[in-house]
Amino acid sequence: MDFGKQLERLEAIVRQLEAEDLDLDEALKLFEEGVERLRAAREQLTQAELKVKKVLEIEGFDK
Amino acid sequence: MGAPLDLFAAASAEGAWTVGEVTRRARTVIEAGLPPLWVRGEVSGFKAWRSGHWYFSLRDQSAELRCVMFAKQNYLLPAAPSDGMQVFVFARPSIYEAKGEFQLTVMELLSTEQGGLWKLAFEKAKAALTKDGLLDPARKRPMPPFPRRIAVVTSPDGAAIRDIQVVVGRRWPLAELIIVPAQVQGAKAEASVCSALNRISRLAVDVLIVGRGGGSVEDLWAFNSERVARAVAGMPMPVISAVGHETDVTLCDLVADLRAPTPSAAAEAATPDRAEVLIHCGGVAQRLARGLRMSSRRVVERLARTGDRLTSCVQHRLETSRALLTAHGAHLDALSPLRVLGRGYAVARDAEGHVLKSVEQFRDGKAFRLRVTDGEVNARVGRG
Repeated sequence: MDFGKQLERLEAIVRQLEAEDLDLDEALKLFEEGVERLRAAREQLTQAELKVKKVLEIEGFDK
Repeated sequence: MGAPLDLFAAASAEGAWTVGEVTRRARTVIEAGLPPLWVRGEVSGFKAWRSGHWYFSLRDQSAELRCVMFAKQNYLLPAAPSDGMQVFVFARPSIYEAKGEFQLTVMELLSTEQGGLWKLAFEKAKAALTKDGLLDPARKRPMPPFPRRIAVVTSPDGAAIRDIQVVVGRRWPLAELIIVPAQVQGAKAEASVCSALNRISRLAVDVLIVGRGGGSVEDLWAFNSERVARAVAGMPMPVISAVGHETDVTLCDLVADLRAPTPSAAAEAATPDRAEVLIHCGGVAQRLARGLRMSSRRVVERLARTGDRLTSCVQHRLETSRALLTAHGAHLDALSPLRVLGRGYAVARDAEGHVLKSVEQFRDGKAFRLRVTDGEVNARVGRG
């Protein structure tokens, strides 16, 4: 998943947990999602390896 | 102003004009009659003074002009002109009164040999771009915070691409680097760079770096083309230009959203540092945990409030019941057989506790117990 979107979702989760009156169930669900996204984000940050492509070689890259 | 130097008229009052009067008058006449203008010629007798001011002559086959270019004007030039060089100067004709010399005060100097004519073209193109608002600072777009795809237009075999690859690999390897090779020098450079830009404009790219492959100043030419500048300005994503030298700003630099001094600096500007992002993630983790604590505390508080209401509700019910019980007790008490005993009645029961209700149950000598209001006594049937 796109890192920027991942982080955006994480921030939204944190804000919701901080500000809203949630059921314990909902809060736990959000927390678990947050933990999972955080894990994925950290993994992306630590495991990623730069991919380099020359535009001559790539096809189907158009928007 | 244009009074003729009539020898007799001039000589009338004080006898003659002073030297200063003449030079001052000549200066006024010349400055009023000759506005600043472009002059073309060959440099000769160039001398740079300690003060930083430049003195030289401009000449052609038929004539020679003294020139001065003050330090505050010439410090912007990358180098001083040398004797024999063909130049254009933009200068104000005047008289240097102390020497009575006709001279040009040079404000701008362009060499036709070291990109001088290109510079003229540059200024013309820059003016056109300015007129179309393409150099407006308000047009500058911010860099994407977490780029997914970074495209690079540069010479495929220069040092630039290696440097960019190293920096992006270290700072933000989450990105994909898309290299679009272009010819950056030679006659085909302009078309090659434009075609590369055109290709990238059709790709899903978050930020573009335009870099030179390294090499000589002549490479700059393609990046000073108005066509390339307009193509850069029209890119759908933010563009970082790492083209110029410290001293030579190119049109590409001017229209780009960001100008970087080197390809490495461009790569840094295009990427967040993952080490910093990791630290930020740590902060998010803490907020997440605190958020859950806050959420559960709110749930507990709510539960406690509900509990309190439950307790008070139960207590109320209990009290009602107790009152009811007391009432029922009183009622029951009224019906109790013990109350009857209180009025003087007694109940006879045998050893097993059966109530003896009939005469037949009282055989001679039978022992039984008699319950009266305040206790029991043993009794026996006597003989009649």
